[in-house]
Amino acid sequence: MATDTTTESGFGTVSRTKGIVFEYLTLASSVAGILALSVLLGYVFWDAFGMESAEIAWYGAFALLVVVPVLAFVAYTQRNPVAGEAALELFSTTMGGILGGLGTVTILEVVTGADIWFGYFVTVVAPLCALYLYGRSQPNASWVGLAMLGFLVLGPPIGTALLPITTTIVALIGGPFVYLFTLTIPGALVLRYVVEDYLELGDGDLTAGVMVAVALLAVPLVDRLPLVSRSVWAIFLTTLFAPLAVVVWKNLADRERRAGFAGPGVFAAGIGVLLVVTDRTALNGPTPWFDWQYVTTSPSRFADQAGLYPAIIGSVGIIVLVALITMLLGVGAAVFLEEYAPDSGLGGAVARFIRINISNLAGVPSVVYGLLGLAVFVNLANLGVGTVITAAFTLSLLILPIVIISAREAIRAVPDSLRQASYGMGATRWQTIRNVVLPRAIPGILTGTILALGRAIGETAPLIMIGVATTAFSPPEGIFSKTSAMPMQIFAWSSFPSQEFQHGVVAAGVVTLLVVLLTMNSIAILLRNKFEQEEL
Amino acid sequence: MSQDTSSTEAEREETDQLITTDPGRGGLSEQDNTSTVMTGDTIIQSRNLDVFYGETQALQSVDLDIPENQVTAMIGPSGCGKSTFLRCINRMNDLIDVARMDGELSFDGKNVYDDDVDPVTLRRRIGMVFQHPNPFPKSIYDNVAYGLRIQDRDVDMDSVVEESLKKAALWDEVKDRLNESALDLSGGQQQRLCIARAIAVDPDVLLMDEPASALDPIATSKIEDLIEELVEDYTVVIVTHNMQQAARISDKTAVFLTGGELVEFDDTGTIFENPESQRVEDYITGKFG
Ligand SMILES: Nc1ncnc2c1ncn2[C@@H]1O[C@H](COP(=O)(O)OP(=O)(O)OP(=O)(O)O)[C@@H](O)[C@H]1O
Ligand SMILES: [Mg+2]
Repeated sequence: MATDTTTESGFGTVSRTKGIVFEYLTLASSVAGILALSVLLGYVFWDAFGMESAEIAWYGAFALLVVVPVLAFVAYTQRNPVAGEAALELFSTTMGGILGGLGTVTILEVVTGADIWFGYFVTVVAPLCALYLYGRSQPNASWVGLAMLGFLVLGPPIGTALLPITTTIVALIGGPFVYLFTLTIPGALVLRYVVEDYLELGDGDLTAGVMVAVALLAVPLVDRLPLVSRSVWAIFLTTLFAPLAVVVWKNLADRERRAGFAGPGVFAAGIGVLLVVTDRTALNGPTPWFDWQYVTTSPSRFADQAGLYPAIIGSVGIIVLVALITMLLGVGAAVFLEEYAPDSGLGGAVARFIRINISNLAGVPSVVYGLLGLAVFVNLANLGVGTVITAAFTLSLLILPIVIISAREAIRAVPDSLRQASYGMGATRWQTIRNVVLPRAIPGILTGTILALGRAIGETAPLIMIGVATTAFSPPEGIFSKTSAMPMQIFAWSSFPSQEFQHGVVAAGVVTLLVVLLTMNSIAILLRNKFEQEEL
Repeated sequence: MSQDTSSTEAEREETDQLITTDPGRGGLSEQDNTSTVMTGDTIIQSRNLDVFYGETQALQSVDLDIPENQVTAMIGPSGCGKSTFLRCINRMNDLIDVARMDGELSFDGKNVYDDDVDPVTLRRRIGMVFQHPNPFPKSIYDNVAYGLRIQDRDVDMDSVVEESLKKAALWDEVKDRLNESALDLSGGQQQRLCIARAIAVDPDVLLMDEPASALDPIATSKIEDLIEELVEDYTVVIVTHNMQQAARISDKTAVFLTGGELVEFDDTGTIFENPESQRVEDYITGKFG
């Protein structure tokens, strides 16, 4: 076409050297970062799982029994993506159910206890859920949002005031029944909706009935199992077994998706056979430090009996409180600073002063926050040395500036034209924030909060300052009881002289910390995706 | 000026024909704002309206009387303050921190900048379509229903949504995808969605800032039909850069020129055929912009 008209030099060229050099430099720096991180993680995992004690033959067996079948399945899903989807669904439901169940057991059974949970369920959780559902079905009822806010603010104090009464009720009906009423039955209602309306699988009432019946009928069996209490059964039925049953049902109902069962199937079978083989033959497998015993027992002088249980509970309890406090305060402050605070006049000057100082506070070393926590929460407010609540408040102070800054960024990233559209329709400021700004900003707010919480859970310096124990032999019994925390315990172990502690036990602690962190992040990411989907 | 509130629809139209020249200057400032105002009466009136953005002046003592149930077009070169004037009417300028205004602007006989006027209720009666399409990142349905929801209107939501989309000439294109994101629509479709969103709440006045700038001729003519239909019940103020459009659809035309001064305001026919000011003639004939 046009080639015959171009001269020898064509259109000439523009030098791309700088651009190419820059591109490879950026590539190199990201590769370097990823390499450094994976070497570090590989090293930790190697130690935590005691991989050095396994022989070559074991690795061979592992590859043959687990890696090859799973890879084969993955290859198969390339041709049949629906099966891969189904397998992923089964796998993530199982893992999510287990982690969610463990988390729920930790929080409800260990940190708060059935009586406190029941008190707040009645005054906060149940009204909020009921209002949410009502608001869903009646989008015109704008008072619902206000009522929800009311319960969010007034519910906790009322719940606390009513605690003596609710505790008596719980003492009368017993913990397992509390979980039956507060988890299993609401869970059954959700199941009814999912089965009948959402997935349209079949009769919802029947399914819900079956779930409640299973919950009750399995009790004699559960009583005979060691380790599993009726409460734990009620919790796991709601978080793991019921969702898993629905997912299995859904995937069985669809002929194309049935092949997906092969994935989790070969994985489970491979692991099972490997365990049996390692057990029955002379083959030496790895001797993991990070195992069931490690996460369920207390610290010990002997490396092979050492456990992280009290510290895990302590850290989880602290971080749950920190998440609640920082989300409420951080998002509140960010919304105020971005949407309400005036830009000019005296108010504007004050707002500007606050903004600048929040940015400065984000850079203050964590020890300083420890000192502040010691002065304010321990000495002034008398919340106790090294208690869960002191630690939670101190860590909240530490990450609050980061949460506020990232929430402000997220709110500011909401295009002004959307606010204008909303105001132009005659929306009030609150309606605009509620319907336009927050839905759009929440994914960003969650991202910032995840990062900040990750920082909080690994902090040691402020915890040392407020006197959190390095080693605790029993988990905290409430928010006012003394506690330990994972980083503190890991730090303590790392100064033990024995090699076993310094390598195995510490590495296992790090892995535990990472698992807790990842669980937390995945919950937040799930939430974020949910919000992103809602916002089309 | 007729004060007869019980006039029928037919009589109303008749008055519409009769009173086209005299916008009834100053006739309403003393009235209360119960809507006894008749067709052709001034519904929006500005006196000595100055608007400043910080140090720069965007409007210079603008006197304008916008008649009810008619289409008033605003034309003028870019940056002359047309959008600014529209934003004054429903107090959207309140949201711009540096914006400051002097003078008087009344709607239905009431100065909208009085302390006892709630801009939120004002905006519920004066709808706006913005210069750039700005649908919410929600479904098409939720976009149109937004105003009804925030205003707690007790109406049959589905039928109002359908009706509004039909009026905005969008229904046929979106009726099968009402639950999909409004952001997946084309620019022109988004603009029509914004029009549907604004008329869904049934405002008294509709301010349209270049509603057809992103539309093809077919959609444009549909929007023009819509505007003609709307003026039977609403007052429409439209900013446009398209002279033919202004000449086609408007009853009155206001010409702003650079510096934010209102140079001429008269019947559309007069402005386009026989303008008083030489500058207006130059602008309309393209000698000056
Ligand atoms: N938010 C603002 N802050 C500061 N100055 C502004 C702002 N909005 C508008 N202006 C200024 O006010 C003047 C009038 O702007 P306006 O948007 O009203 O023009 P316009 O007539 O609508 O132009 P166009 O036809 O290009 O839309 C311009 O000089 C503009 O720079
Ligand atoms: Mg404009």
